Amino acid sequence: MSEVQRKKYSDKEKNSIFDHEFLPHIDSMYNFAFRLTFDEDDAKDLVQDTYLKAYRFINSFEKGTNAKAWLFRILKNSFINEYRKKSKQPSKVDYQEVETYYNSDNVDYNMTSDLRVDAVKDMLGDEISNALNSLAVDFRTVIILCDLEGFTYEEMAKILDIPIGTVRSRLHRARNLLKDKLRSYAENMGYDTEED
Amino acid sequence: MDKDLNTSSKRKLNCSDESKCFELLESILDGEESSGSKEVLDEKLAKCQPCFEHYHLEKVIREVLKSKCTKHMVPAELKDSIRQKIQEIK
Repeated sequence: MSEVQRKKYSDKEKNSIFDHEFLPHIDSMYNFAFRLTFDEDDAKDLVQDTYLKAYRFINSFEKGTNAKAWLFRILKNSFINEYRKKSKQPSKVDYQEVETYYNSDNVDYNMTSDLRVDAVKDMLGDEISNALNSLAVDFRTVIILCDLEGFTYEEMAKILDIPIGTVRSRLHRARNLLKDKLRSYAENMGYDTEED
Repeated sequence: MDKDLNTSSKRKLNCSDESKCFELLESILDGEESSGSKEVLDEKLAKCQPCFEHYHLEKVIREVLKSKCTKHMVPAELKDSIRQKIQEIK
């Protein structure tokens, strides 16, 4: 959050910004918080804390700019600083997997996928959701921001404090991991995932 | 099976530059490419089988994520609770 305060808003302006620019994003914020914490109470606390911080630092928000990205950034930082450690959900991160992915700068776009379009279309909401939830938090986050919330790479870079190139490669890796999950579901459903 | 696959015999079966092509296709799907991307996309999908398959799989995954990872209902009392807390810190 910027320490520089451009100007001070009056109470009336603060309330107007809060009601018209911040609160309309509460559905997306709660969804993001729930998919980070997997717990209703933690998600509520996280969203509430985010809104309180947003109000407290409202002078560093420039009216009419991207409130959603600004709020998501606060929520993400709150999650990392306060919730990640005490999250009730045991971490499903396969450390080796994450480390291997992070340690290579070059993304392998050659990975062939034998997952079929039809198999993905036939999957139930629970399977898709579970596959997403099973990803390590950093990978889950980029997919949520991009595919569920429609943020651009540039917005994601600001929310996550990482370069755009890293957004791009992390997304690609996240999607490959997601495809691995979906592929194993497809196999369980009896789809033939082998090449012709 | 996608009906367009019937015309797959016209496409080359190997992509000479998969890494670059797939990266471009993914950027297009994410709305990050604008200048001339429609033409590039049409050409790749018409001429290259691996690009065609990668594009359609990536596209359907984005669609199911968006349609099936529905938003969790925000607890009704959350907004009121936030407003109340803000009154306290004012």
